[in-house]
Amino acid sequence: MCGKKVFLGMSGGVDSAVSAQILKDAGYEVIGVYMKNWSKDLPGMKCPWAEDLADAKRVAVQLDLDFRVFDFEQEYKQKVVDYMLAEYQKGNTPNPDIMCNQEIKFKLFAEVAFEQGADLIATGHYARTDGANLLKAVDENKDQTYFLYRIDEEVLAKTLFPVGGMMKVEVKQRAAELEFAVAGKSESMGVCFVGEANIKDFLAEFVEQRSGEIREVETDRLLGMHDGAIYYTLGQRHGLNLTIGLPYYVVRKDMEKNIVYVSQDLNNEELWKDEVGLRDVILRGYFGENTLDVEVRVRHRAVLVSAKLNRATEVLEFAEKQKALAPGQSVVFYQGDKCIGGGIVE
Amino acid sequence: MIYLDHAAATPVSEKVMRAMQRYYAEDFFNPSAAYLPATKVRKEYEAAKDMIAQVIGAKGVDLVMTSGATESINLAFRAAERRSVLISAIEHPAVLANAKVAAHYDEINVDKFGRVDLDDLRKKISPEIRLISVGLASGELGTIQPIAEIAEIVKAERQRRVSAGEGNPIYLHCDASQGLGLVEVKINRLNIDMLTLNAAKVYGPKGVGALWVAHHVKLTPVVFGGGQERALRGGTENVAGVVGFAVAMQEAEKHLSAEKKRIAKLREILKKVLSEDEAIVFLGNPKRQLVNFLPILIPVIDAERLIFKLEREDIYVSTGAACSASKGEKSRTLKAIGLSDEEIAGSLRISLGKLTSGDDMRVAGELILKAVREERDRLAGSNK
Repeated sequence: MCGKKVFLGMSGGVDSAVSAQILKDAGYEVIGVYMKNWSKDLPGMKCPWAEDLADAKRVAVQLDLDFRVFDFEQEYKQKVVDYMLAEYQKGNTPNPDIMCNQEIKFKLFAEVAFEQGADLIATGHYARTDGANLLKAVDENKDQTYFLYRIDEEVLAKTLFPVGGMMKVEVKQRAAELEFAVAGKSESMGVCFVGEANIKDFLAEFVEQRSGEIREVETDRLLGMHDGAIYYTLGQRHGLNLTIGLPYYVVRKDMEKNIVYVSQDLNNEELWKDEVGLRDVILRGYFGENTLDVEVRVRHRAVLVSAKLNRATEVLEFAEKQKALAPGQSVVFYQGDKCIGGGIVE
Repeated sequence: MIYLDHAAATPVSEKVMRAMQRYYAEDFFNPSAAYLPATKVRKEYEAAKDMIAQVIGAKGVDLVMTSGATESINLAFRAAERRSVLISAIEHPAVLANAKVAAHYDEINVDKFGRVDLDDLRKKISPEIRLISVGLASGELGTIQPIAEIAEIVKAERQRRVSAGEGNPIYLHCDASQGLGLVEVKINRLNIDMLTLNAAKVYGPKGVGALWVAHHVKLTPVVFGGGQERALRGGTENVAGVVGFAVAMQEAEKHLSAEKKRIAKLREILKKVLSEDEAIVFLGNPKRQLVNFLPILIPVIDAERLIFKLEREDIYVSTGAACSASKGEKSRTLKAIGLSDEEIAGSLRISLGKLTSGDDMRVAGELILKAVREERDRLAGSNK
């Protein structure tokens, strides 16, 4: 192993910092890389990229690592941000982090790293790999395979996840022992490129506000107005600007008429489905049969549920009814520890 | 701790803190109120302004107290009424930002030491220019500008306009944030129209500044409010801050010549240690440089890495101006004196001050050299 060149994506957080030390201890020649992605300052919210860059570089210097900055601003804007905006405008609820991993971190970053002489790449994600398979992290609560299911197989074969075998608490403790300045840093929340921004504030910068009606699904009664159906996600409870009585849940959106249909009845049949149609399904590895028994996660950290995937129709049949999934969201498949793929809700 | 970034911030002295303390909980009264304890505060506030003004050879009533140099600069640029302005190519970002909102702005070139090119100024001082703004000393190089000579050129242009019957006035503003306490700043000798002062760089509190304004300069408010500071800057007076500023200014004046000598000696010690590395280039012209500045250039080295290495040794230095460095932008000043991007990346700004001692200089010098050697070794290793 000794002497192999690893390009490690360093975000300025604790996980990639500890990853750097682990790789260095293992005898790799580590090159720290900060990926500068597209960022936009919103009023009252500042994207902390400059601080993150300094934090990442500080750790690299402490460990005496070479450090580089890859500027992916343009590509990020095109591949991730524009995709996200387009999806929202269609009424979907996309996951930009999944897109970012697929298009930037495990594609563009890998390409440039290999061009610059990398033998392997690494990131601070909580996941594991045996070279061929993507495996759940040891710390189930931190497992990030949900965000990684779409990454390229060939890249995965050359990827290391140094903290994937550790518990988060161990990672934090290690960072403190190593006296990393980032040891106590809180985890970044929200969409990475807008910092702490509320996704609604972000969208409002790009999409014209179009007010529309909120109607009760059972009675078609007009309950109030909203400022754009794109801001609402199926199953969502908050943000309906309705002050009366019990909470309402979004059960349907009519994007053409810009109407949001809601219900107070959590058991409303539109909210519960025993199957879901997927698109862009990918499977990692070879599977002979048309139907696959899988466990699925419908969002990051969601409880695993049993389902049957029909590969031909790309329809997923749940063992038990599930709360409706928003179009654009990802459903990720597991068999045991293996993350075997996933698809996007139609 | 070895603190070598006095150009960025200075610690508030004991004496200044003590002077300020009383105005927070005891003599907290609004200086505009009618009762006696408040009028006493008003008098003390005016006296503090006089103390500040006296150091620069002016009167307290001609000072507009502000929230710092940035606000003073904003106020000074009100005199330009957004017409044509001229600034040096190495001004602080606050000056540049104000110039950019003018109808037209141009930059005066500087030489390789960062000194304003007077011939270029003569060429660019057109009849449309309303305001010229040049800092007393560069915040990155410490280069002291020939303000009095610039003022002569401005004066000649003013006279020309009068004889030609042109009505357009012309003003000269000088940002003296850097240099106060290390060079004598007297308005009659500088012959300027407006002068920006900053408490935070002379061991006074942050968030306190002043703009001295000559009588003939017409200004409009920078903060609209209750008529304070000649109605140019509304808001209840920052009594504690201004008192602190006054004490800091007095202290600075009192110790100026001794401190200048002491720091000049310290700088020589550090320079000597650093000279052991023949690759290190000292920037600026030492004959026309603030004595506390030692900007250096270390070819091929990434200076930011040195900052992170040195901070682990409890030594604090900086690259370029703190404001522009943190945003990942290249220093305009270093570009203006002709450095390449790679050279800029290898530039370190060392600035001494009250917290610096002779022993510090030797320790810091050795540790800087060690950090440089380590970086060179790392680079040599990864090129194999």
